[in-house]
Amino acid sequence: MRIKSSILVLVSVLLLVSLCPRPAGAAPYEGYTYSYWGGAVQSPIAYLPSRAITGLEAGTGAWNAPGDLFVSAEGLLYVLDSGNGRIVVLDKEWNTLRVIEGFQNGEKKDSFNNPEGLFVTDGGRIYVADTENGRLVELDGTGTFVREIGPPKADVIGAGFEYFPRKVIVDKAGRIYVVGRGVYEGLIEFDSDGQFTGFMGTNKVQFDPVDLFWKSVSTKEQREKMVQFIPLEFNNTDVDEDGFIYTTTVDKKTFSPVKRLNPSGIDVLRLSKEIPPIGDLSRDRSAFIDIDVTGNGVYRVLDSTRGRVFTYNEDGKLLYVIGQLGSQLGTFKNPAAVESYENAIYVLDRDLGRITEFTVTQFGSMVNEANTLYSSGKHDEAAKLWREVLKLDANYEMAYVGIGKSLLRQGEYKEAMTYLKLGNDREYYSKALGKYRREYMRDYFSLYMTGIIAVLLGGYVIVRLVKRPRKEGRVQDAVS
Amino acid sequence: MPFLKDIKYSLHVAMHPFDGFWDLKYENKGKLRMALGILMALTLTMIVKRQYVGYVVNYNHPLALNSINELKYIIFPFLLWCLANWSLTTLMDGEGKFSEIVITTGYTLLPLILINIPNILLSNVITLREASFYHLLDALATLWFVWLLFIGTMTVHQYTVLKTITTMLLTLAVVGIIIFLGLLFFNLIQQIVSFVYTVYQELSLRG
Repeated sequence: MRIKSSILVLVSVLLLVSLCPRPAGAAPYEGYTYSYWGGAVQSPIAYLPSRAITGLEAGTGAWNAPGDLFVSAEGLLYVLDSGNGRIVVLDKEWNTLRVIEGFQNGEKKDSFNNPEGLFVTDGGRIYVADTENGRLVELDGTGTFVREIGPPKADVIGAGFEYFPRKVIVDKAGRIYVVGRGVYEGLIEFDSDGQFTGFMGTNKVQFDPVDLFWKSVSTKEQREKMVQFIPLEFNNTDVDEDGFIYTTTVDKKTFSPVKRLNPSGIDVLRLSKEIPPIGDLSRDRSAFIDIDVTGNGVYRVLDSTRGRVFTYNEDGKLLYVIGQLGSQLGTFKNPAAVESYENAIYVLDRDLGRITEFTVTQFGSMVNEANTLYSSGKHDEAAKLWREVLKLDANYEMAYVGIGKSLLRQGEYKEAMTYLKLGNDREYYSKALGKYRREYMRDYFSLYMTGIIAVLLGGYVIVRLVKRPRKEGRVQDAVS
Repeated sequence: MPFLKDIKYSLHVAMHPFDGFWDLKYENKGKLRMALGILMALTLTMIVKRQYVGYVVNYNHPLALNSINELKYIIFPFLLWCLANWSLTTLMDGEGKFSEIVITTGYTLLPLILINIPNILLSNVITLREASFYHLLDALATLWFVWLLFIGTMTVHQYTVLKTITTMLLTLAVVGIIIFLGLLFFNLIQQIVSFVYTVYQELSLRG
């Protein structure tokens, strides 16, 4: 009877559970992070798709292969409708504010020819990389022409140099950096007057030992037909609030597809020791095509291989992953650009001509907030949030490290060791161990020392007691 | 107590290899059971080491630990070494018998146990900065083992220094050949089995 009724209860519970609909906000992709051992670990979803907009819905007619997206400091969305050669500006509610189709360039009416890059300064100036026209165009907020900047002119640039600017950024000082198509010398840098000042931040030359071997044994004719070892070009760039420039490279072989360049062009990106920011750890590696810097050293990179947005913190640790290739809301066909504003991430799809907005979930906002506190050194406040994060995701290693570091600062060395071990942070574990060891020895040194001395003394006495009679015996033997 | 005496003798070999290995060969002091005992103890030590070595120097994925692996990494190489060494030295005028080779090789493993056990204990109280001590001790254990193996081979086969070194290097090559032949053998067996099975299947389906 008892068994029957318990089975009945079990069945009814199971039925109830299976009848429950899936949560309304179920995402079309899975949330995951990578563990210390390099395995993908399921994780709650940090951002959920909330809405999407196409050109038709915005009332501007369909967007034709839009190439870039920019969210200004006020939250206005600038869409670069490359195929139609125009810029569409949307406000926060996604009403079309204005459409910039062309502009008055001196006497003649001018327009863009397949522009690929767009940047809006804090002052509202719009910079467009007008790719096929081989120039940069600067407009003011209303779309009035300000100036155009042509190809870089200098002795170092050869006669055959073809200038196709693809992406453009402007730093606080007004310096302009351009990613050019097929330009492997680095970013093309202009000063605020539009004068070419040089290249910066070249990628290192990558080569295969195998290729090198074949190159060394082949003849001159064969060598000439082989691929040359040249550094790879950048494909996108962004600038953070401190004026550091982030760049991405599409190369699938490199372990540093993301770079953070200081003003002299040296890569200063902090890399996580275990897993560098390279996206998915699969055989077919991720190819980054856009980067978005959000502040506090957090940056997001858009992967075109699987249509995912990877968010990393300033230590190069993966925070969360969103998005996927697909045909549902929240998945993409051919993602082209990623931007974020406050609690939302925007991804522009080139083929569908669509922007998808993702808004942060409870988990995502806790991770964001905890990471902000953590990176600004407020470990104790961060620890509280990390504990909340752990309630939602007990596999989140960064949370363990965060709590561990906080405990370490509070002097709870033993407990800090437990958490740091769970978070797989050997360096801080070892620090905690050192502190704990010292504390332990301070408390127990006298006890252990007394013990050791007692044992030694005891052993000595016993040896003496055992040996003495035998010695006397021997002496007697010798005498007799 | 003969057992204690055996242990005392194996320690003597580790400390005074020239003397020890000589006695091993010509005074028949080496015991096969002792050599195999040392091998077993080493296997046990290595299992313990993989699992319980201090976290700061332990880079093993806990889910990837498997004691069967020690067969692959310790017992199997041990047997292969003995076999290869014996096959080689019979052709190269070595004086050692197979049992002598096994006993000698077994006794040379002792330093690995002697150093590893305190090293495991030590590793649990060291920090990352002191980890080099752990690695130093680890390296010392290996060097000591190689040194004993060298002396052992030299004494058992009554070789000169140069010939011993050559023999040891050649032994490694022979180990490689044995592994190759083994793989080839198993591969062929597999092919034959699958062939026979296909024939059987063919016949049974027709019948």
